[in-house]
Amino acid sequence: MNHLVLLDNEAVQALADPAHPKHPHVISHVQVIASRKRRAVPITVAIPTAVRVEAGWNRNSPVWAFLNRLRIADVPLDTSYANTAASIRGRTNVSIADAHIGGVIQAASADRITVITSDPADMRRVAMDKDITVVTI
Amino acid sequence: MVMGTVDAVERISQLLGSDMEPTSNTSMRIPTALRDAAALAVRELGAAPSTTALTSAALRAALEAVIMQAILDDHYERHPAAKPDLGDLAIAAAELDGHPLAAEPERIRHAAAEISALHPAADPEAVLLWAEARAFRAP
Repeated sequence: MNHLVLLDNEAVQALADPAHPKHPHVISHVQVIASRKRRAVPITVAIPTAVRVEAGWNRNSPVWAFLNRLRIADVPLDTSYANTAASIRGRTNVSIADAHIGGVIQAASADRITVITSDPADMRRVAMDKDITVVTI
Repeated sequence: MVMGTVDAVERISQLLGSDMEPTSNTSMRIPTALRDAAALAVRELGAAPSTTALTSAALRAALEAVIMQAILDDHYERHPAAKPDLGDLAIAAAELDGHPLAAEPERIRHAAAEISALHPAADPEAVLLWAEARAFRAP
């Protein structure tokens, strides 16, 4: 079973900053993912690039070295995702970053999709009829 | 040249992120049974386009897992308060999987405390199983 885990802006901020009050919570998720990867469980952590922009995560900046090394994959806002995200944003009026998350959810072929977020309601809205697991931080 | 852990992780990350088109012949000895099992999985189950692709994907996944854990271990060394305990991990595992007990973190923490007293090396999934069993027995 392929498992895709997506991060929203708040999850990125929490993961990046050890002083962030939600850091221990998000790092626990990353540790579980790392342990599953070691057991060859197919699980991937990804970040839609619009979320990365919103979070200010520049992969060329040493400030983000910890996250850069954690093998969190980018999902670029390409033509296809941009079309889906535009349509989600038109319907729901969520942020561009959240609409991109919605686009990734809609297109994902993973058997299970989990979103780690501080805004569960918006994640459910952008997921529409797609079955997702929402982790609220 | 002796490389530190962080430098090695950095270099491995760079290599994993670099162009994978150039290939090399390598004389790696692997168990014959494993080679035959891989060939069968490719031919009969469509596990990958080729045994080479299957081997490369497995190796990549293993390397990614190793560096991810090395980075986390380094992070825990620098920030000990960030290191999750078994209860934290079991709650996180439940949340990631949408497990019904995710809504009852205290029950999970209690199960983690119980199971780690008997099995210090227990993993989060074992804790969830134990918590589930305890929940089933509870009136």
